[in-house]
Amino acid sequence: MFSWDLLANAVVAGLLLGGFYAAVSLGISLIFGLLDIANIAQPAFLILGSYAAYVMNEAYGLDPILTGILFTPVFYLLGALVYRVYYGSFERRGEESLRGLVFFFGVLFIIEVSLSLKYGVDYRLVQTGYTGKSIEFGGVGIAFRYLVPCVVGVAMTIALYLFLGRTFYGRAIMAVSQDQGALRLMGADPVQIKTIAFGIGIAAASLSGALLISIAPVIPSTDRDYIGRMFAITVLGGMGSIGGTLVAAVILGVVESLMSTFFGPSWSLAVSFGILLAALAVRPAGLFGR
Amino acid sequence: MRDVDAGYGAVRVLHGVSIEVREGETVALLGTNGNGKSTLIKCIMGMVAPESGEVFLETDGTRVDLTRKSTEEIVSLGIALVPEGRRLFPKLTVEENLLLGAYRKGARADIERNLEFALDTFPVLRGRRGQLAGSMSGGEQQMLAIARALMSSPRILLVDEPSVGLAPILVSRVIGKIKELKEQRQLTVLMAEQNFNQATKIADRGYIIVHGKIEFEGRSTQELRENELVKKYYLGV
Repeated sequence: MFSWDLLANAVVAGLLLGGFYAAVSLGISLIFGLLDIANIAQPAFLILGSYAAYVMNEAYGLDPILTGILFTPVFYLLGALVYRVYYGSFERRGEESLRGLVFFFGVLFIIEVSLSLKYGVDYRLVQTGYTGKSIEFGGVGIAFRYLVPCVVGVAMTIALYLFLGRTFYGRAIMAVSQDQGALRLMGADPVQIKTIAFGIGIAAASLSGALLISIAPVIPSTDRDYIGRMFAITVLGGMGSIGGTLVAAVILGVVESLMSTFFGPSWSLAVSFGILLAALAVRPAGLFGR
Repeated sequence: MRDVDAGYGAVRVLHGVSIEVREGETVALLGTNGNGKSTLIKCIMGMVAPESGEVFLETDGTRVDLTRKSTEEIVSLGIALVPEGRRLFPKLTVEENLLLGAYRKGARADIERNLEFALDTFPVLRGRRGQLAGSMSGGEQQMLAIARALMSSPRILLVDEPSVGLAPILVSRVIGKIKELKEQRQLTVLMAEQNFNQATKIADRGYIIVHGKIEFEGRSTQELRENELVKKYYLGV
């Protein structure tokens, strides 16, 4: 059963979803794409951000996005701390590749299990003032519940893009994995630069988590739905390309939305990864990889 | 630098090396491959820690011990290195490479002026500001590496093997640029080089390093040219 209305609605919903996916993937784009650190615990920080929004909403009735923004310094520090532990225990000794992966796997489990123990495995959702609202343009409905996260996601993308291209710290973050010794010769401390980048990456994940829990219900193991998606978007967009991350996120968002509208939601992830593989076969560096 | 011993692990490369570079001089450090030129430069930049000896910077009577400082701290004192092999950030654009050169706090205020100066000095870079550094030719990359070092407003410029991998015509252009820059910016220059003829064109004086020891100190380029070691190693006489 095909109709143009259905198609238009699916495409618009996909575009909005894409903006949100961009927010979810920015952190890993920074940490994996630019720093070359395979932080597979990233989606756990996403969910941690969701629960921060949930707790603050239950206790004080705070808007999730407001909580997300208020908590970014906390998560920045948490991210900086995680990186320092990782650096001191693995990277400094040159054991980052495999043991580092195990470390982040451990972090992922600790966060997931801690959340399960504290808050149980019930689905949690944060209702906002705009949750049920939507506007309609010629038969195409735009739900605020998707529109707001999309706008925040695009704003985060622009902010990160400008930070990387226009600031000294940003440019140093882009350079650090290419030649650390040369970065020292510019007067920058590579460990400090990576700490800052990692902190920002985790803060971005937590803010996206706050967006997530206003879109759909979350349980501690929701991180598993996002781990593949965020890495796929980062690789498809081109490692470390922030603009590429947004484009790839929108592509995946639209494809997932079309698939779930016309063929059922269970197809969407498989097709997303199909696109990733096909794109990489043609362009191994991703869409916008340098 | 006084009585410096240095090396990597069990391998000692420098044996009791002492050299001095005075303000406003261009000093050449001459030697063929594997004699310790780069190691000496790395000792100055804090990239190799000397086992013994002193490395220091003296300004108006105050003396700063460089052996206890990190590379970043040494750079922030106004010492810049154009490293061997150029060490550009290949996946960043020419402009991004240049702007990173101005990372140190003391250089940020002058960033616009330095960028204009760098692009005026190396016009080839102006047209390629948006190009990835890794996609340029060797000569252009060497120009960029020098320009990037200048972005940090250095007082002292160290240049390690600027001629390696370049065609002869480019070597004399690069060396000529270093001289030009030295005069325009009142730099103090220490240049490690194996191309004797090119290096002595711009040097005030020089040292010859053989197997990690300073074998000869020439107080002028004339003295260097007439030295027996030079005749033996470089001129094949």
